[in-house]
Amino acid sequence: MNKRLHIKGKNLWRLCALVVLGIVLSCCYTIITEVDQPATAVVGSTVNITVHVNNSCNSSGTAHVVLGFLTPTGWNTAQNAKITYSCTKGNGNMVLIPSTTIAVNSGGVNWPTYMKNFFGNAGNLINDVQWTAYESDVPITYNNGDKINGTFNITFNNIGADGNPTEVKLAYVVANDQNGFTFDGNDGDSSPTSEYYNEMIMPCFQLTGGTGDLVDFCNPQLTTIDPPKSLDNDIVTLTYNNNVVTPALLPNASAVYLCATATLSDGTTVTVCDQSAQTMLTQTAAASGIYQLTFWPRKLFGVTASQTVVSMTYFITDKTGTTKVGYGGTTSPFTYKFKCT
Amino acid sequence: MNNHSILRKQTWLIIALVATFCASCKIEQVAPVPESKKDLTGTWKVIQASRNGTNLVPLFDFTQFSITFNGTAGTYTLNNPVPFIVPANGKYTLDDPQYPYSITFTATGGQPVPTAFNYPIINGARQIIMTFSPGCAQNSYVFTLSKTN
Repeated sequence: MNKRLHIKGKNLWRLCALVVLGIVLSCCYTIITEVDQPATAVVGSTVNITVHVNNSCNSSGTAHVVLGFLTPTGWNTAQNAKITYSCTKGNGNMVLIPSTTIAVNSGGVNWPTYMKNFFGNAGNLINDVQWTAYESDVPITYNNGDKINGTFNITFNNIGADGNPTEVKLAYVVANDQNGFTFDGNDGDSSPTSEYYNEMIMPCFQLTGGTGDLVDFCNPQLTTIDPPKSLDNDIVTLTYNNNVVTPALLPNASAVYLCATATLSDGTTVTVCDQSAQTMLTQTAAASGIYQLTFWPRKLFGVTASQTVVSMTYFITDKTGTTKVGYGGTTSPFTYKFKCT
Repeated sequence: MNNHSILRKQTWLIIALVATFCASCKIEQVAPVPESKKDLTGTWKVIQASRNGTNLVPLFDFTQFSITFNGTAGTYTLNNPVPFIVPANGKYTLDDPQYPYSITFTATGGQPVPTAFNYPIINGARQIIMTFSPGCAQNSYVFTLSKTN
């Protein structure tokens, strides 16, 4: 009796294993072979980008093709970037995936969050970039042995909608809505890749022109402000990185100081440059060379209820206030505009 | 003892049992206890604070800030202000005194500002959890307040 049950159980497991194997293998491997995008563009212009993709399928099925596009948050990509696809299975539009759609294998989050969790900021140093997720308007039907070549054609209108000249690493992810960001673990087989998804990070893209301050996502900055976009009634964290320039611009000390001049809405200016506790950036860890000050601009500059802080220029100084570090290590101050776009 | 007598005794016994059974059960009238009105009266201080998910407590001094609610007058007072839902003292209302999901602050001379409101009991004590954006709308702050007295 036990023997019979054992044999039946074994068969059941074999059946299950076959079913699971069948599910796992019902997919297409994906690779982004090339992205055609300009190296530079002007704020407000239209930019055309082509993403070339190869797929290699090992079974039959249907799936929506998913495209993730990483751009600065202020570019309003969902509104400004129109995308079409063209492949040996047909042509069509890429449509935005609703934020309420839970991505497969994501642990219960939507596609943009899944992309952020999985791929991060693609090497961009300021956390003010976002993934925008698109999918093909209809599912693509594929057969075992299919080799599907296709392109995504992105028309990006009014690029740099926030008006800021920018240096950023744009990134692309192609996947499908049946597998998410998974792989089969069989690297080295006949397929070009073992993943059912692929990411490509491009070299730094330069956006010139515009009325705002340069936002450089690509290169380490002497100072950064978090949140990147804030008003004077936010709590902001100013970070100074003494390791960016060698030799270090300021001596290794437990603290450095903010020396700032604010321009207010009524045209007046307020300077705070006192090397005291309120302007002290403390080192995050001994000898780290990273210094931080978190402050409330309205309080630091002592503005009244009817005034707002529009912008500030600032230096980082040593304890004595005599050694000042400015933008790019020069004698010109850093600048920051308090705005939300 | 003849059969007639036994039958009579059994009849009385059955009547007694039925009477006892009937008398033993009655519908209990359970009066529902009304949910208490949420009284915020007291002084509350920040015990947790985050900005876009980043813990602000080690970075920013919240120890001097507090908010005092006066439930009778419906007023609040900010002490040593920090960026908050409203910049000045004023009045407050709850959307539902028994089951509040939203609190509205109206600074003196200002417009009403509603905000999501949570009022859980943590470790036996009430806390207030509020989410708001005092600066740019995309910057989200969550404060958890605990009563000091």
